[in-house]
Amino acid sequence: MPQTGSRSAAAVWTLLRKECRSEWRTRYGLNAALLFAVASLTAVSFAAGRMANRPDVLAALFWIVLLFATLASLGHAFVREVEGRTMLLLRLVASPTEIATGKLLFNLLFLLVVEGVTVPLFLLLTGAPPVRWGPFAAVLALGTVSLAASSTLVGAVIAQTRGRGALFAGVSLPLLLPVLAAAVAGTRDMWASSPTGGSVRLLAAYAVALIAAGLLLYEHLWED
Amino acid sequence: MMLRVVLFLWISVAMTASLLFAPLVPVLEETTRVLYFHIPAAWLTVLALGWSMLNSIRYLVKRDLRADDHAAAAAELGLLFCIGATVSGALWAKAMWGAYWNWDPRETSIFFLLLIYTAYLALRGSIEDEEKRARLSAVYSAVAFVAVPFLVFVVPRMYQTLHPDPILNTRGKVDMDPMIRWCFTAMLVGFTGLFVWMQSLRVRVARLERRRDRETIAPALRVSTGGGRA
Repeated sequence: MPQTGSRSAAAVWTLLRKECRSEWRTRYGLNAALLFAVASLTAVSFAAGRMANRPDVLAALFWIVLLFATLASLGHAFVREVEGRTMLLLRLVASPTEIATGKLLFNLLFLLVVEGVTVPLFLLLTGAPPVRWGPFAAVLALGTVSLAASSTLVGAVIAQTRGRGALFAGVSLPLLLPVLAAAVAGTRDMWASSPTGGSVRLLAAYAVALIAAGLLLYEHLWED
Repeated sequence: MMLRVVLFLWISVAMTASLLFAPLVPVLEETTRVLYFHIPAAWLTVLALGWSMLNSIRYLVKRDLRADDHAAAAAELGLLFCIGATVSGALWAKAMWGAYWNWDPRETSIFFLLLIYTAYLALRGSIEDEEKRARLSAVYSAVAFVAVPFLVFVVPRMYQTLHPDPILNTRGKVDMDPMIRWCFTAMLVGFTGLFVWMQSLRVRVARLERRRDRETIAPALRVSTGGGRA
């Protein structure tokens, strides 16, 4: 049944609000991600000290901290519905694409909140060299979108399998590797004062391709 | 039967000619020979993964399990040829660059592909219901293929590479000695034939397995639950 654009937008908006509210009620996803980020950051900066002269190491650590902090919680959005047996109810009120878009936006928001804490802390604790804000924001934003898009898709697939927890990281990491490689290269070049255009274009193309594939495929994810 | 004999003879002749009679490229010397195995293997990796993706989409549109058999078989074979290309490339790298692994953009790309499709097989292994397995792995395969054009075509051209395209392929077109080109094309055709044959074998095995399951397990279940509907 085709729906009008405004109805779909309303459904997505309602879903996003519902996701935020149910996350806010327990906050354990967010708390876990923040704790994880701060703990891994402390370990990294305690072990390696200040690394202003090593943009390559710094860039890799930056994305590893972000990835590990968020990966555990991103797959959660769909698993929660399946485990609480609320997926069927959701399917009654919205189409698969609307549900997935709502979850994607929620994951994006979740990542932004975690980054809001992690990024300033990272810059402070590791003594990173001054940030070139334009390229940094572009790489961070595009990396975040790709991270959210692919983990939403994989989360939707994994939620329907057995052994979800272990499988999510194993299956989503390989898909994220091209994103991470480009994001690390872009961040490193930003700190090393080299041009970042290539990495930004690659990240942008990958993000668009992932979102497009997701929108085409969500329709096929749920049946019966 | 006839086709298999022709394929066997074709590959034997092509391989003998490539290894014994084809001339060597000046800089690469004896390591030129890896060309006849390495590039066809890399080409088949992309072909097999593409075939897997096309059949995954065909499954999502038609819901025909035979398309899923093709998708799974092609992904397995793609992974096999990917390992072949990686290992032959690493051996060549040891001879030319002094180390098996250098994180050259092409090495990185093929390593990512290996991981992505290993994850595909891990995902398949974790789902028992065959319709659900077909549906979910088709979705994953379609997403995974998003990475393939980036890894195979974009990344190696964007970053500095040590890969010898620039030596063999200076002006962006195939610029080879005629004998090398003949041997290379013959190997490419032979390998593609090999893939088609292996693919059809794997798909037939998958179908036989499904028939066996239907004919032995389903009646056994009926007996154990008291004769089914009757």
